[in-house]
Amino acid sequence: MTRALVVYCHPLETSFVAAARDRVLAGLRAGGAEVRLNDLYAETFDPGFTAADHANHLAAGVDPSLDRYAADLTWCDTLVLVYPTWWSGQPAMLKGWIDRVWVNGVAWSLPDGANRLRPELRNVRRIVAVTTHGSPKWINVVEGESGKRTVTRSLRTMCHPFIRTTWLALYGIDSASETKRTTFLDRVERRLSRLA
Amino acid sequence: MLVAVVVAHPSAHSYCHALAGRAVAGLRAGGHDVEVLDLYGEHFTVAMTTQEREAYHGDTPILDPLVARHADIVKRADALVFVYPTWWSGLPAILKGWLERVMVPGVGFRFDERSGKVRPGLGQVRHLIGISTYGSPRSSVRLINDNGRRTIARALRMSCGWRVRTHWLALYAIDTATPTERHEFAARVERQMAGLR
Repeated sequence: MTRALVVYCHPLETSFVAAARDRVLAGLRAGGAEVRLNDLYAETFDPGFTAADHANHLAAGVDPSLDRYAADLTWCDTLVLVYPTWWSGQPAMLKGWIDRVWVNGVAWSLPDGANRLRPELRNVRRIVAVTTHGSPKWINVVEGESGKRTVTRSLRTMCHPFIRTTWLALYGIDSASETKRTTFLDRVERRLSRLA
Repeated sequence: MLVAVVVAHPSAHSYCHALAGRAVAGLRAGGHDVEVLDLYGEHFTVAMTTQEREAYHGDTPILDPLVARHADIVKRADALVFVYPTWWSGLPAILKGWLERVMVPGVGFRFDERSGKVRPGLGQVRHLIGISTYGSPRSSVRLINDNGRRTIARALRMSCGWRVRTHWLALYAIDTATPTERHEFAARVERQMAGLR
């Protein structure tokens, strides 16, 4: 059975991204997945990498207050990130989750004598990103698509060698019609129900 | 020129803070006015809050006095300098949050009512400068990604005028850099900042 971790990041329950989250959960359950949800804002996740985090970054493990997040990340085989794209990338809250949870002993390790990081999240075989962009696709291309590259290039390097990434994005939401929004939500649910 | 130096490292004794100090020394030697925005030192709130998101598209998107102070400096600045460690190929969360919370409508950009398009808000900024350290060597940063640089030199650049110049000063593979390499890089930062016109 698929073990899916949904990491959701938006401050407002009334947002379109919250609606996308609900469709993600519905799709995953329809597909028979076991689902866990990390709602970073609702759980008041602390996204600031601290001086203590920095001092301990060569020691294995997360800050003790974040054990649950590390356990969920090492449990899942499918990671679904649901967030709005702001300033071409992940919101600070979600970037903070990456900075603080994807640490030594969880996402990577540096064995003695090695000169490169060893991936530790071999349990993760698929990453799905569900995200919205205020601006149209071409602007995001000019801006360099940092958020997409963070998912499809940076995060994947610490996961299973044959990991697959799935990018589900709505562009130009500022001027998107109701039909375009609904179509996107339908697409998200359909895609998440057929991940295998 | 008025230069805003934004520093994002949690440890005041870090190499990153040392680099920021050298950048400030260089800028002052070059005759510039400098405003240092030390995000961790000033206890800047990392992520946009629920209240800020609700107010984002209203008349007063800024609710936090610290954000208001930073926005006021940014609106007057002729150059923006970012000093930070690259983590996960990108900006530390607190610096990403700074962009989200300070560069709100009316500061970083504005929505044009008639065309419905986004217009730049930082037309007075002449230089965008990144000073960053990377764990990875230059080859893999180039090959795989350089998302922090892209966020500043491309995404933020779109909020400035067409004539803005971007400068990038980077120390790659910092984990294996020798003290001499670190020292030389810091000296280069100071020299380049002193020569900024």
